Amino acid sequence: MQERSDEQLMAAVMAGDQVALAALVSRHHAPLLGYLYRLVGGNLPLSEDLVQETLLHVLRQRTYQAGRPFKPWLYMIATNLARDYFKSAEARRCRGESDEEEALLQLYDSAPGPEEHALAAEQGSEVRAALAQLREEYRVVVVLRFYQGFSLQEIAETLHIPLGTVKSRLSVGVHRLRNMLDPVQKGVK
Amino acid sequence: MLHSQSSWPFERPQQLIDALREQGASPEECADLLPALLRLSEWQAPQPSPADTRLLLARLAPELPVYSPVRQAIREHKQHRVTFLLSTARAQVSLFGLGFWLVSALITLIGAAVVLRSGVVSEQALALPALVLRISGPLLSYLGTMVAFRGRGSRVLELELVCLPSPLQLTLARLVIVLGYDVGLGLALSLLLWAGGSGQVLALLLTWFMPLLLVTGLALLLSLRLSIQAAATLAYGSWLAFLTIGTVSNLQLLQLTPALLVLPGCIGLALLAIALLRMRAEMHRLLPRI
Repeated sequence: MQERSDEQLMAAVMAGDQVALAALVSRHHAPLLGYLYRLVGGNLPLSEDLVQETLLHVLRQRTYQAGRPFKPWLYMIATNLARDYFKSAEARRCRGESDEEEALLQLYDSAPGPEEHALAAEQGSEVRAALAQLREEYRVVVVLRFYQGFSLQEIAETLHIPLGTVKSRLSVGVHRLRNMLDPVQKGVK
Repeated sequence: MLHSQSSWPFERPQQLIDALREQGASPEECADLLPALLRLSEWQAPQPSPADTRLLLARLAPELPVYSPVRQAIREHKQHRVTFLLSTARAQVSLFGLGFWLVSALITLIGAAVVLRSGVVSEQALALPALVLRISGPLLSYLGTMVAFRGRGSRVLELELVCLPSPLQLTLARLVIVLGYDVGLGLALSLLLWAGGSGQVLALLLTWFMPLLLVTGLALLLSLRLSIQAAATLAYGSWLAFLTIGTVSNLQLLQLTPALLVLPGCIGLALLAIALLRMRAEMHRLLPRI
């Protein structure tokens, strides 16, 4: 039997089909968590909350139009929720008090020794810190493109921006990442 | 509990290079950027366990839209309108007694017999058989309308209104039966004419079927204001009067030349469409008065 598409599952969910909801959530739980986890700088409890909020929005708003591509719509909601969170006063306060991300950046800036550097690299901390340093508009497109495997068109639909803007943001984003993640080359140049 | 290590969408470096090229990077840029991009896979995201997904589902389930079984049934039926219409029509077939089927077939046979006996070979010789077909075709429509909608005067509309198939759907289903059967008879008639050596099968068939559509449409439209018996009689009577005037006065316009044969059918279809569209608005007139 052919697997139902996201759009077909979502139409069934709108009609109250629990089986369709289970299939849809099983399919998107892990990728969505991965996306939000990287978007919020590796804060797992926060990304779990945002995943739940995103899916609650999907069910509560009921603004899904039949036939519309589901994945860009889902990630648009997730991205907007993450942005809202960072804009909120609570987020600013939390970041001001004890920020793991800040600590990572300090780690990155404090020129670690070879052993520390190797350890950090092993855990992906350096990549994490580099992504955290990117401005949000570049981080979103880089994560969607290189971690979620989105096409350029899907990114444009998700963020409601022109295709050319997607390309330029990706270009800026990856060049900045290269400068941060490949300091040897940067030094040579 | 979360498991570490999410999947990395790029299995080979070449895929990353292709992605970079797609976004407009030159080959030199690709070579320059690739090492940094390959390092992105170092940062793995946690993967939710099946238990995490079940927990999430438990939180989401209460937010699912809830519809009553009746509403759910209506939604499901709306998704399969054609199937539903045909199944309703199948259920409505029992409303038509054996007499209706036999009398309709008999009228068609008589029409075919008259045409074949007259041995149609020329335009002039077409006049009598054409007249017979113009009378017999709408007669089937008259009978069909009377039988299909005879229950309207029996004050059963209230009952029909509370049923899942709406009055409009019932009307459509019954029209599908009447017109479907008449089309079937028309095909049988054309086969008979063809086998009997009649030279103008299509013209004769149109002569028979187009007035049938016209009278059906007119009867249905009039039935919105009149009783079904009065509407069907008035529609069929008007057609007979039209034919009589055309024959007696010998007016070329009223005798419907072959080129104008399709005109009554088109008018009939338009009247049918208007009647079906007006039905919902006119429904209150059909309710029994206390």
